[in-house]
Amino acid sequence: MLRPFVLHRPRTAEEACALLARLGEDAAPYAGGTELLLLMKLGLLRPRHLVDVKRVAGFDDIADGVRLSIGAGVTHRTVERSAAVQARCPLMASVARHVGNVRVRNVGTVGGNLAFADPHSDLATLFLALDASVELVSPRGRRELTLAEFVRGPWETARAADELLTSVRLTPWPASTAAAFVKFGVHERPTLGIAVALRLDGSGTGRARVVDARIAIGCVNPCPARAPGAEARLSGVALAELEDVAGEAAALAAASADTADDLYGSADYKREMVAVFVRRALRAAAARARGVAPVAGFPHTIVA
Amino acid sequence: MSRRAPLRVVGQPVPRVDAVEKVTGRARYVTDLVLPGMAHAKILRSPYAHARVRRVDTARAGARPGVIAALSGADLTWCDPYFGPAFRDRPVLAIDVARYEGEPVAAVAAVDELTAAEALDLIDVDYEPLPAVSTLEEALAPGAPLVHTGEPLAGHFADLATLRPQPGTNVCHRFQWARGEAAAALAGADLVLEDTFRFPPVQHYAMEPHAALAAWDETGALTVWAGTQNPYSVRVELAKMFGVPLGRIRIVVPHLGGGFGSKTYAKLEPLTAALARATGRPVRLAASAAEAFQTVRRCSARVSVRVGLRRDGTLVGVTCDADYDVGAYADIGPRVVQKGTYTATGPYRVPHVALDARAVYTNTTPGGAFRGFGVPQLAWALESLLDVAADRLGRDPVDLRRQNLLAHGEEFAPGDTPIDGKLEESLGHAAQAIGWTQTGAADRGRGVAAMLKASVAPSVSEAIVRLHADGSVAVLASAVEMGQGTRTVLAQIAAEVLAVPVARVTAVPPDTAITPYDQTTSSSRSTTMTGRAVQMAAEDVREQLFRVAAEHLGVPARELALADGAVVAAAGRLAYPEVLAIRFGMSGGELIGRGVVAPGRTAAPLGGSTPFWEMAAGAAEVSVDEETGAVRVERYVSVADVGRAVNPLLLEGQDEGGVVQGLGHTLLEEMVYEEGHLLNGTLLAYRVPRADDVPRALECRFVENADGSGPFGAKGAGEGSLIPVSPAVANALARLTGVRLRDLPLTPERVWRALRARGSR
Ligand SMILES: Cc1cc2nc3c(=O)[nH]c(=O)nc-3n(C[C@H](O)[C@H](O)[C@H](O)COP(=O)(O)OP(=O)(O)OC[C@H]3O[C@@H](n4cnc5c(N)ncnc54)[C@H](O)[C@@H]3O)c2cc1C
Repeated sequence: MLRPFVLHRPRTAEEACALLARLGEDAAPYAGGTELLLLMKLGLLRPRHLVDVKRVAGFDDIADGVRLSIGAGVTHRTVERSAAVQARCPLMASVARHVGNVRVRNVGTVGGNLAFADPHSDLATLFLALDASVELVSPRGRRELTLAEFVRGPWETARAADELLTSVRLTPWPASTAAAFVKFGVHERPTLGIAVALRLDGSGTGRARVVDARIAIGCVNPCPARAPGAEARLSGVALAELEDVAGEAAALAAASADTADDLYGSADYKREMVAVFVRRALRAAAARARGVAPVAGFPHTIVA
Repeated sequence: MSRRAPLRVVGQPVPRVDAVEKVTGRARYVTDLVLPGMAHAKILRSPYAHARVRRVDTARAGARPGVIAALSGADLTWCDPYFGPAFRDRPVLAIDVARYEGEPVAAVAAVDELTAAEALDLIDVDYEPLPAVSTLEEALAPGAPLVHTGEPLAGHFADLATLRPQPGTNVCHRFQWARGEAAAALAGADLVLEDTFRFPPVQHYAMEPHAALAAWDETGALTVWAGTQNPYSVRVELAKMFGVPLGRIRIVVPHLGGGFGSKTYAKLEPLTAALARATGRPVRLAASAAEAFQTVRRCSARVSVRVGLRRDGTLVGVTCDADYDVGAYADIGPRVVQKGTYTATGPYRVPHVALDARAVYTNTTPGGAFRGFGVPQLAWALESLLDVAADRLGRDPVDLRRQNLLAHGEEFAPGDTPIDGKLEESLGHAAQAIGWTQTGAADRGRGVAAMLKASVAPSVSEAIVRLHADGSVAVLASAVEMGQGTRTVLAQIAAEVLAVPVARVTAVPPDTAITPYDQTTSSSRSTTMTGRAVQMAAEDVREQLFRVAAEHLGVPARELALADGAVVAAAGRLAYPEVLAIRFGMSGGELIGRGVVAPGRTAAPLGGSTPFWEMAAGAAEVSVDEETGAVRVERYVSVADVGRAVNPLLLEGQDEGGVVQGLGHTLLEEMVYEEGHLLNGTLLAYRVPRADDVPRALECRFVENADGSGPFGAKGAGEGSLIPVSPAVANALARLTGVRLRDLPLTPERVWRALRARGSR
């Protein structure tokens, strides 16, 4: 059961970091609590101080400039409904709509999701594909890390104990980008997530070609990982021929995956599923580029 | 004459009488109750699957401010510390040995839950880990570590006295039953099929976890408010445990937030009552959802079946060897094995049968009763194999079943009740509703399955109906309302007999000091057995009304009838208040009617004749994502033979729930153990069906021939819908893909592996 704790509600990032620095091991940042409180209820974590980041100025902002910046305290629900996100990065809004269940989406935050670094995070997979970076603040100042630099392993990040995640930033890809996020699984958390983003040139014409491809594999690896071999294979491929190389790219992606046996499935099954869902994600992205809504009729599968 | 009148409230979709209190959150469950001075308890559980408990030191915990008592098994010298319905093999708190991960080892009662939880951290336990057995294979291997070394004491219930463990092994009970010459019949059969099927350990997940509140009074009497499906069994256990006469123990049951078998027999009540005794205060013990995984589960099973058929499809023989994993303590597991195995041949005419089943102890959460009571495990095997047989004989699976179905009035086993339903109608409706004979979409497969289950026998139900001076009615019965709607159904039955609106009837919640004996709310028996007792009690009141009115009006009783809350005769009518005023000479007093249903022991194989046969058929239409192995049940039809639907609305709810619960163990649920350690004992990791898993088309229908032994021809329902689900789905999958799965649940990975092994077609 939940043990008592002191709740701190700082108004500024400086105050929050100072609290974390002072309280050390005994404190944890607290946003939506969907992960933290579960661990505390199970007795796996027992911080005596929680530093609530939800009232920190600017943490719940979505800023739309050259880059799109999502405050760490923004909930999945807010991302889903944000006009700016829908306009600049519709895939992000769509992924947010399918995180967990409605209770998780209503209180769970972008920052909490990334800072927790659960290997089953959809956001980390998506942001990795979209070349996003995260900003951190501490008494030593602010720094920006790429997502790959930030997420180090399962439940492990580059964040120092007195550091807070303030926002995720990304430069939205052109509107013509063909993108899809596909996830699969029967458990509360996904068994697999695949993000695909294909930058196209000459789009709108039948001759559109992939000039830059991103494929990120989530859940099955210790932390989300790009599939460079598959990405390279897709580069220069005409949209019309994507279907022909999808299988090959999918096989390359599957070969790059570092799967292991666990409750979500055996290593070989998950590896095979990487191939299946990279193919499906590519197909979905290509369909979107042609203005067709992707097929989403598979059981336990979500196409975002 | 009233008996022939058309039914007024029975058969109507009367909304549940407790609907408003439930949806407004006012319905009270055990954890809503507060007593002055009440202490709160928490349990310290074993982290080991099997360990010697060398020493438990509760001194530091006991000394903590706010702690009233801290107990370990060794402290329970002032009571009999063992309980259990089949054998008294389960200590209230571990004594010397902990036999599964999560077994209660010590408990604390304190001024509040937090103090109790924090005090648990101060208890020192010296464990010596022992080798554990967590699978049937491990438990049955020669030289396997023994879960129990001594012979357990017999349980408290005389009807379970035939159950016996096999000393020196992990076999907790063996049940064998034969008819005819199965071996010879199989040797002479044209087609013999044999296969082994597995059914996973699953948890009931009642939304309300186990809870109890116990208080001893100044006279030494004990009251326990308990979330239990059978208050009278709990009372027996506590009486034996504390050496207190039955009459001084009172079990009160408020609403239950679901049971499904998880709340049959004593669970947390013994510990709660012991803590209340030790503290001299009322004590409440409220478990968490995760603790339910450590309290009881369904018995998993490995079932090998052989079926022999003639070329023309006639079943000639069946043998079944079933091993059920009953976990660390017997609970009611041995009876589950016996009852489940008894109907291993399903609703079919099988002249030659040999059944051999074992209940096997392992170092896992005790297995007990769970909706279906041992039958789903065997139906999974038989109904799957029947489809294989149909395939091999080139027969339609529905036809093959129809050919072998037991007919109405036919004997199932010597001495037992003849078949009291027409399963051919259920099967026919199910097949028709799923469009069996029409060609379906190429990417869909259809499958059927049927089931037969005996209810607990012999059993006893008593009821009292009181007609008050104002003409309102109270029904006193001990069937527990756990969401199935029994209060509504019992009220309907009394309202029907006494010709009053349902709103004039109050079903009093079970309280062993007030409501009369009822054996158990399980085995789909309440409407039939308790309902019949209520009907008889109401008829008793009716006869009393007739007697008074006949004398007053000077007409023979047979010329009287009840209508609209009055006794009516050609000469005129007397409203109930008038009848009572005549009877008592003033506006006081009440008429009390009594009903008793006690069929007693018979020569039937299990010692009593089933009061009814629960029979149902299911038909599924599925699709599969061949690349991932994910199966989707697109449509499902359940048809249960219920005799009469006393309340079709509640019945539909029961059967929809049964189907969806069945989809849990069919597609999703399994408690995964690794060396005795439960890997997914929380709802985050253990996946129960959600609203989005319910088939888009789910239909629950009923066959009503008024041929049941219950009131107005009703018979039990609520388990039948669950049982055909797994084989119907697997049969549909096999017909669609050509792969036959033998292990539940049909997870995407399992299906994917089977599809890969099959190769592409
Ligand atoms: C049932 C369920 C289903 C889920 N399904 C999905 C899913 O499908 N896809 C998916 O991606 N995720 C899923 N999740 C995870 C969910 O997205 C995250 O739980 C949520 O976004 C975490 O945010 P939070 O605000 O609740 O974090 P909290 O629980 O408040 O915090 C999580 C961790 O991050 C730290 N933290 C929080 N904010 C900051 C900050 N600003 N700076 C530094 N550290 C911080 C906390 O100290 C804690 O360690 C699921 C979770 C549950 C419980």
